[in-house]
Amino acid sequence: MASKGSVVITGAASGIGFHTAQMLLAEGYRVVACDLAPGRLSEIDSPALHFDALDVRDGAALKASVSGEEARGHAIAGLVVCAGIITRTPYLELDEETFDRHLDINLKGAFFACQAVLPAMRSQGRGSIVLFSSSIARSGSINGAHYAASKGGVLGLARSLALETAREGVRVNVVSPGVTDTPMPRGHASDEEVYAKAAKVPLRRIGQPQDMANAVLFLLSDDSSYVTGQDLRVSGGANLF
Amino acid sequence: MKTVLITGGASGIGLATAKRMAKSMRVIIVDRDGARAAEAAQALSASGASAFAYGADVTKADQIAAMMEQAAHEAGPIHAMFCNAGVSIKEPVHKISEANWDLMIKTHVKGVFLCTKAVLPQMCERREGAIVTTGSDYSICGKADGASYAAAKTAIYSLTKSLALEFAPFGIRCNSVGPGPIETPMLRAGRTEEEWAPLRAARAERVPMGRLGQPEEVAAVVDFLLSDRSSYITGQIIHPNGAQISW
Repeated sequence: MASKGSVVITGAASGIGFHTAQMLLAEGYRVVACDLAPGRLSEIDSPALHFDALDVRDGAALKASVSGEEARGHAIAGLVVCAGIITRTPYLELDEETFDRHLDINLKGAFFACQAVLPAMRSQGRGSIVLFSSSIARSGSINGAHYAASKGGVLGLARSLALETAREGVRVNVVSPGVTDTPMPRGHASDEEVYAKAAKVPLRRIGQPQDMANAVLFLLSDDSSYVTGQDLRVSGGANLF
Repeated sequence: MKTVLITGGASGIGLATAKRMAKSMRVIIVDRDGARAAEAAQALSASGASAFAYGADVTKADQIAAMMEQAAHEAGPIHAMFCNAGVSIKEPVHKISEANWDLMIKTHVKGVFLCTKAVLPQMCERREGAIVTTGSDYSICGKADGASYAAAKTAIYSLTKSLALEFAPFGIRCNSVGPGPIETPMLRAGRTEEEWAPLRAARAERVPMGRLGQPEEVAAVVDFLLSDRSSYITGQIIHPNGAQISW
């Protein structure tokens, strides 16, 4: 299969990022997987997968990852920003370090990643960027103001960048998952509690990472060629606003 | 082979969607212009697809009932529906006649009600189905000189969200597609190429992407929403709109 180009994925070692990497490889993309450590990526044996160990708070490292892929002779077709963290903290106990850490990883990391790929996409006159927000950006979350703020910021970043790049062939969209079956919600909830959230979802199940990967695939593909600046809410019908 | 029924399927976005879906599904084209629907279905059949056509007015319950009965007999079960029939009238609020208001609301809102009501029982029985309605950017924002259209399109999305919630337990997904300016006969509104060219350029200039969308670009979104690729997406509206609005 001829390559559809390279897609840079941050937070690719687990959860939605990992499953997106798997799906993109199966669909004929090359994947530049970025994360602190390879994690589950070591399960994948593919010449089309390249791993770069980096922290998304390091803009220079992200730029180096992109230029490395270009030096290997591959065009940057897409960017998928999955890297993110969540902790639960009551508002008055929320310290500056925790607040900054969420904004730095979830929002500034997206900003750095977009800046890293944009020059290549601009010069190609083509590219698709998918950022991950969350249902919580709209709904808010008890003990999650810092996370909600960071994910709300992602929406504003994506819309503005979409407007700025709309005439350059670069599309920027967002996927906002509801509760998804990944390690992330298990940081503050048991398996049982995570699955129990299905009762509040109209489709009566929590999301699977593959659901999110399918949305990413759509937004990267030409099927969404007139879709930009949009927020695709993959939430099983929860939070319809 | 699964079957999709498309209303307003003889032209514009409906026809582009019929052409795309015909690659993987049996297609039933419904249009108030039965002759054009038949013509479209014949063209699809000639290229090897399985296509049926019926003339019906989506505002008329008896016509929808008769069409559904005939379709069930001839084309079999319906697995997916694209409620797309629509009309466009631009006029300032104080000049909208009651007749035009009713035409707008009936075609869009009652049309979606009658068509979805007709197909949902069989989808519930199979505990599977996908419905897409045609909203608009104006489902979300208002439109000067287009109050009746915006009201109708907002109502469609509101209806669609309620259907999504009510039928999610049956495994049925309901979403809207909300196009921006798409180069269709509706947008062109009968203008000659000479009249249309400068208007097209001006309209395109107002879109952040700098161009109008093509019906095929809307069809691709509808295809996504009708397919299993969107199996966890319901009650949503996706806007192929070149970033005309974001929300």
